[in-house]
Amino acid sequence: MMRDIILQACQVLTVLIFAPLLQGVILQFEERVQQAQGPGIFQPYRDLWKLFHKQIVVPQTASWIYWIAPFVAFTAMLTVPFLLPVLTDFPLPLSDMGDILGGGLILTLGSFMIVLAGLDSGSAYGGIGSSRAVMLGILAEPTLIVVFVGITLLAKAMLPFVVNHLLVANPSVYWSPAHLFLIAAFFVLLVVETDRVPIHSSTHIEIYMIEEARILEYSGPLLALLKWASMMKQFILYTIFSNVLLLPWGLSQKGEALGIVGSIAALAAKFLVVAIAVVFTETAQSRLRFYRYQELLAASFVFAVLAIIGTQLS
Amino acid sequence: MLIAHLDPLASSIFSLMAIASLVLAFVMLGSRWLNNYLYAFAAESWMIAVLSAVVGYYGEYPEFYLVAILTAFFRGLFLPYLVWRIIRRLNVAREIHEILQPSSALVVGAFCVIFALVVAYKVGGSLGLAGTVAVLALTVMLSMNLIGFLMLAVRHEALSQILGLLVLENGIFLGAQILVPGMPLFIEIVILFDLLIVVACFGVLVQYLVVHVGSTSSLELKRLVG
Repeated sequence: MMRDIILQACQVLTVLIFAPLLQGVILQFEERVQQAQGPGIFQPYRDLWKLFHKQIVVPQTASWIYWIAPFVAFTAMLTVPFLLPVLTDFPLPLSDMGDILGGGLILTLGSFMIVLAGLDSGSAYGGIGSSRAVMLGILAEPTLIVVFVGITLLAKAMLPFVVNHLLVANPSVYWSPAHLFLIAAFFVLLVVETDRVPIHSSTHIEIYMIEEARILEYSGPLLALLKWASMMKQFILYTIFSNVLLLPWGLSQKGEALGIVGSIAALAAKFLVVAIAVVFTETAQSRLRFYRYQELLAASFVFAVLAIIGTQLS
Repeated sequence: MLIAHLDPLASSIFSLMAIASLVLAFVMLGSRWLNNYLYAFAAESWMIAVLSAVVGYYGEYPEFYLVAILTAFFRGLFLPYLVWRIIRRLNVAREIHEILQPSSALVVGAFCVIFALVVAYKVGGSLGLAGTVAVLALTVMLSMNLIGFLMLAVRHEALSQILGLLVLENGIFLGAQILVPGMPLFIEIVILFDLLIVVACFGVLVQYLVVHVGSTSSLELKRLVG
């Protein structure tokens, strides 16, 4: 029992500690694709360190929402790893708090607070960022729900652990059209939710920014918390995508120390694969107009529906 | 009946082929450029040709190999070639005035698929075929028909309409192959010639539109008599 509690803490710490590393690796890869030197994979840690030592400047129009949003977002991202198979393929204490839908709810709560804070700060950029993020969210949510329905029909359960076990045990389910379409649909959602759609640039201060625009008014430690929360969200979505859907292997089955180290190494390998795929999608084609974002999500919706059709056979 | 006793491998191959052709129908629905539209149609026809060869192999219908060759040649090469010739002559590269945006069309198409699934469930259940590949085949057939109608409804470039009609026909053919594989070869050949006539007629219609109306949009056809 004690060991399981330690393992659960390890899961949360893994997400907390390695999230900036994942962000750094992705940014470094993007720079390398563009034949630039890149800041190195540890730059996000240095950024966070710098921001935590800076002063906080608050807009005059800001209310209490501005203050609590970073904390709510950060806490939400610390809560979700409880529900997921990050390191072990068996449920740990408190992992029965919620199923996939519950995890989705907490993830969305974090983004919801950031949207409110973006509006609350009173700046024009915050408003633009919030309205764009909500527009994408409105289109992404139904697809997410349909993906969850597809997973439920496939595994007859809504728990990520059950899905993981099913896919490991039955290669025929893994290679079934239903599962492949679910992977395709979720990949689009992953790209949208981590703000890497090839319709805008994720770098700071650009005309097509979405996520960055919402937190433009933040500074100092609050900004650091928000940035860390968004990196953790990315890490969590990568975990769901690779440990539950795409590569369900390589998780610790007994929960011993060696197995945990092994599963962290496996996680690194899996994330590397997913990150390369994401970087490829983001950089391989030229940037699209902003108003073509819905085509991507429509395709994702179609894939999810086709996955449901596919589950009707097995 | 073939579908009642299929081994799992065969039914998974069938379902993969059927769903792949449905995906290609969606590619057609979502594309803006007429050329992509045409390539997707050709690929879909090849997929169906492979499907008929597989059905022939597992159901031991030797004449299906001939059907597969005819399908690949006619639907996969000859008809796309004819349409491609019309496109090349016209200088119309893309659908210009869209009634429905491609992304909205995709979502409407997805709802068509859901509707088709519900209908297929009812039909499959009443025939005692629930849980077999028949439900999937019915779903794919119905949804390809609905998508074909959708293309006819939301696109008014004359060429898109030919392709919409051809998708509709592809859907019926795909369903028929899995559901009633005993269909005589003769009927298949008759249908192929029908398609040829459809494309030829549309070719004449397009020429008429260009000469008399000056555009290839079917919205310009407003008068009943010339």
